[in-house]
Amino acid sequence: MILSKYPYLVQNEILRNMKCSDLFLLSFVSKNMKKLIKSSQRNRFRRISSILYDCWESDQPYVSIFYERSRCTMMRIVKQEENGKYDFRLNLCGKRIDFRLSDQCNYPVAMFHPRDKESVIKSIHNYFLDFFGNSVEFYWRSENMNYLLRPCTWESPFFIPFLPQLQNLSLCVSICCIIPSWIFADMNKLEKFFSASPVLKSVFMKVRKTTEPFNPESKLYQAESVVIDQDWLTAPDILRYFKGRQAFLFSNNYEASDLIQFLDRWKSGEAFQKLEYLQIDVVFEYIPKNQILNAIGAKYIDATKTPPTHSVPKV
Amino acid sequence: MSSTEQGTSSAAPAEPTTAPESAAAPEVPESFYYVHGKDKVVHKVSAGALQHSALIHGMISNLGYTEEQAKANPFPFENIDGDILQMVVDWCNQHKGKPTPPEDTNLPKQKEKLFDLVLAVNYLEIKELLTYCCKQVAMMVKGKSPEEIREIWMIPTDAEDEAAEKEAKKRAGKEAAGETAAAAGDAK
Repeated sequence: MILSKYPYLVQNEILRNMKCSDLFLLSFVSKNMKKLIKSSQRNRFRRISSILYDCWESDQPYVSIFYERSRCTMMRIVKQEENGKYDFRLNLCGKRIDFRLSDQCNYPVAMFHPRDKESVIKSIHNYFLDFFGNSVEFYWRSENMNYLLRPCTWESPFFIPFLPQLQNLSLCVSICCIIPSWIFADMNKLEKFFSASPVLKSVFMKVRKTTEPFNPESKLYQAESVVIDQDWLTAPDILRYFKGRQAFLFSNNYEASDLIQFLDRWKSGEAFQKLEYLQIDVVFEYIPKNQILNAIGAKYIDATKTPPTHSVPKV
Repeated sequence: MSSTEQGTSSAAPAEPTTAPESAAAPEVPESFYYVHGKDKVVHKVSAGALQHSALIHGMISNLGYTEEQAKANPFPFENIDGDILQMVVDWCNQHKGKPTPPEDTNLPKQKEKLFDLVLAVNYLEIKELLTYCCKQVAMMVKGKSPEEIREIWMIPTDAEDEAAEKEAKKRAGKEAAGETAAAAGDAK
């Protein structure tokens, strides 16, 4: 069967029926084949809403493609096994990378030696930029949500995510630490992590307590969107130092004065110029709503009139 | 189901027989048309089944054939092997007037047969069957390495592509030179 003997429309239809992981591998067969894929699948690639590097408590991401309503795993990038076995080797943007295929997975597995991790991930990312086009949004999501599912053990190491510095990449981090013994020992480590990271697209943080506040200049406060679920310290501090667009706060530790001061500064434009959405959930404590509304001079909208609405895209 | 018999494109075929398609008698008598491939075997196919093929459907609509005329002049598809045309006719009959299912598992597994079927179906413009066939062709390389894909689909390497391109340029250059020389000769 000679693919090139088919008319262009048939070739296009065949490629349209291939999964992205197979198209990715096909693109290495020849330069002409890569050109054909890029030209014939342009509209399909334009429909890609984002590509996600998804890390679960590891620096070995699954790479998934998101369309409007579906998601497909295209590849996984893992640490090379000690036996060094691979099925084939590909040249991605000048870097030779080993790959494995297995019956268990429907996608290829790229492998890196620990000393080569960043350069392998960078080469793969650069290949994606060229292959899928610059318009695709790329996300790196690092989570340790498994902490919530595991039985409580005192020995679990605190997970500090690995974040690569790549072109066109938005970074999203989830940090969960609900085991009391880790509260005190690791906050310094966490602060160091934020200060060494680029500005993050989103941060999800579930930590029971922090012993010290974050530095007011911490990059945590510069993230575009934060979801903070915490009993003490950080959540009220967000109301002082946050510089991003959206904040979702779950805490019990709000003084009415914190909220009044925040609302006054937001209303007057003194601070939080970029803030477009704020949600505060207070789980147990009573918040004196009327006291706060009176303090900031809130005006009531006539109940018979439809209030103006403004939609804010979720970050 | 269709029946086949030996015949020629120019001669009227003998009465082909058709198996009953449904226990209930149709309210309007159905018209039938005749097609043959490279092997000249004539297939009798109902108009309903042929609706799958945009090409044949267009030919029927444009030519305004009566059943007698159609019988005397089967549509000749000399570029399609007999066994491939048989597969196409069978598929059209099986899916006559029915919504097409999302998968079709009855397609040939052999590479060369599938290749010929794709070309035939594309030529006859049978959209749904083309989609099934293309899916099947795509499945052939699912989970394969680039080298395995190259072997299955016989894709040339970069070096082979470059050599072919050079050859094509050389040929085009020679042809252009030949045309210039001929034009100069004409001018003299």
